[in-house]
Amino acid sequence: MESIEQIKLRIEQAIPGVILEIIANGSPGNPASIRVDPEHALAVARFLKDDGQLRLDYASNVTGVDWPDKVAQQTVKVLKMVDGVEKEFDAKVETREPGFLEAVYHLYSMELKHGPLVLRMRTGDRAGQTHLPSLTPLYRSADFQEREIYDLYGIIFDGHPDLRRLLMWEGFEDHPMRKDYAEPDDYEFEPTAHNQVLAKARRHYPPKASNG
Amino acid sequence: MTGSIGHTLQFLTVFLVIAVSFSLIPILLARIWAKAFSPAKPSSRKNAIYECGLESKGDAWIQYQSQYYVYAILFLVFDVESIFLIPFGVAFLELPPGAVVAMLVFVLLLFEGLVWAWMKGVLNWK
Amino acid sequence: MDERLRSELSRQGVVAIKLETLYNWGRKNSLWPLGFGLACCAIEMIAASMARFDLSRFGAEVFRPSPRQADLMIVAGTVTKKMAPQVVRLYNQMPEPKYVIAMGACAISGGPFKQGYNVLKGIDRYLPVDVHIPGCPPKPEAVIQGLMLLQDLIDGQKLTGPGRPRFLKKGEPSDFEVPIEGAHDLVPPYNAAVWRPCKITIDE
Repeated sequence: MESIEQIKLRIEQAIPGVILEIIANGSPGNPASIRVDPEHALAVARFLKDDGQLRLDYASNVTGVDWPDKVAQQTVKVLKMVDGVEKEFDAKVETREPGFLEAVYHLYSMELKHGPLVLRMRTGDRAGQTHLPSLTPLYRSADFQEREIYDLYGIIFDGHPDLRRLLMWEGFEDHPMRKDYAEPDDYEFEPTAHNQVLAKARRHYPPKASNG
Repeated sequence: MTGSIGHTLQFLTVFLVIAVSFSLIPILLARIWAKAFSPAKPSSRKNAIYECGLESKGDAWIQYQSQYYVYAILFLVFDVESIFLIPFGVAFLELPPGAVVAMLVFVLLLFEGLVWAWMKGVLNWK
Repeated sequence: MDERLRSELSRQGVVAIKLETLYNWGRKNSLWPLGFGLACCAIEMIAASMARFDLSRFGAEVFRPSPRQADLMIVAGTVTKKMAPQVVRLYNQMPEPKYVIAMGACAISGGPFKQGYNVLKGIDRYLPVDVHIPGCPPKPEAVIQGLMLLQDLIDGQKLTGPGRPRFLKKGEPSDFEVPIEGAHDLVPPYNAAVWRPCKITIDE
């Protein structure tokens, strides 16, 4: 299979107006992914499926990712008037980058036996704009997997033939795989032999120093 | 002659009584046991329709396909025909040759009916 | 009856037995399971019912597919919250006397998946369990031991008197509340008539 930069170039030539971005993967051996904008995602996927050199006709895994809001605190020097004299103060400024949800597709080619190509799609934000186009019309294996993403993350796939919850029941209101999911308090503690083991082990290790 | 029939009838009565009581006595015992020991606890949850644990909605009545009826009718016709053929077969050798012709006509009439049904496609299960 | 009299009679070919013993003997040696294989423990349950570890030697001859024909429900595997109402409904549809074996860690208390969002932390939250078989999964020998434990339990059940089991007492329930799938969790999260969280203190 061609390199990811070549694929990006060819997609940009074939589909005008598409916005692509290559997102590198920090871990060794894992492929970089192409981020597609949702408006052109279906066209890009159709191109990837029909193209003679790529023929990516099998979506082996469709999964979701939750990127929560990034809150960064910065200490900034601010000038303030105190008693008529300008002084510099340290002020904490909070910057908040809105988070988003992502759908990640791993595409393989059964015909040419190469792959994977990793496609990503990002939603607008985590609350109101969580619509993405569904690739189920092209890849049937995405059917249940997109339903699972809808169930667990809350991404609504437009064009999906049967978008219902898969693992949780109809009427469940949360999306369990989101980072801010609060699970119900039904986890009662069971005393097991582990507690005695833990108590014994604690005698050998110094107590954890508190962060000061 | 009458004596032997009366003798047989006696046997038959005894056997009939034994057969019926063989089936009824355990049922009666079960009822007595239930009344004595286990109290009845009926409830709508217990008597609910079984649908692998799901709640069943709607009736379990369906509309039967007409092929069942057609097959049953055809079977009935040929069953009755075979019932007529049995005494014919038993008394075959004592009957004049005309009886064979008459029986053949009877069988062929019914056979023609079967051929007609076959040609009409009635025997194909839709 | 006097033991000596009993042995004397049996030597003469007369067997004297209490009705209660006969009733329990018949029941314990013909427990027909409603094999409720939900997850991996189902494989071990199947292995226990197959050639090498044969459960049918102990009377669990046929695993009935219908709850109306079964008197033992072996809950084998993780019970998800989506499946829990169905488990309880099937238990309700079984005729008395009925028994429940919770097989494997997941059916006892949620097991290794206890922190799962969809895992019911033990089927004994909604059903009265008679025998718990620990293990992940329990070996087929452990399943057989659990069944034999249940047989001993049945053997000791009385027919009359205040010590008799639930299905013989008039006021006791024979079916239990089916949980409803709520907005965030099952409603109620556990059946208070059947299970209470254990009161323990955690020492640091």
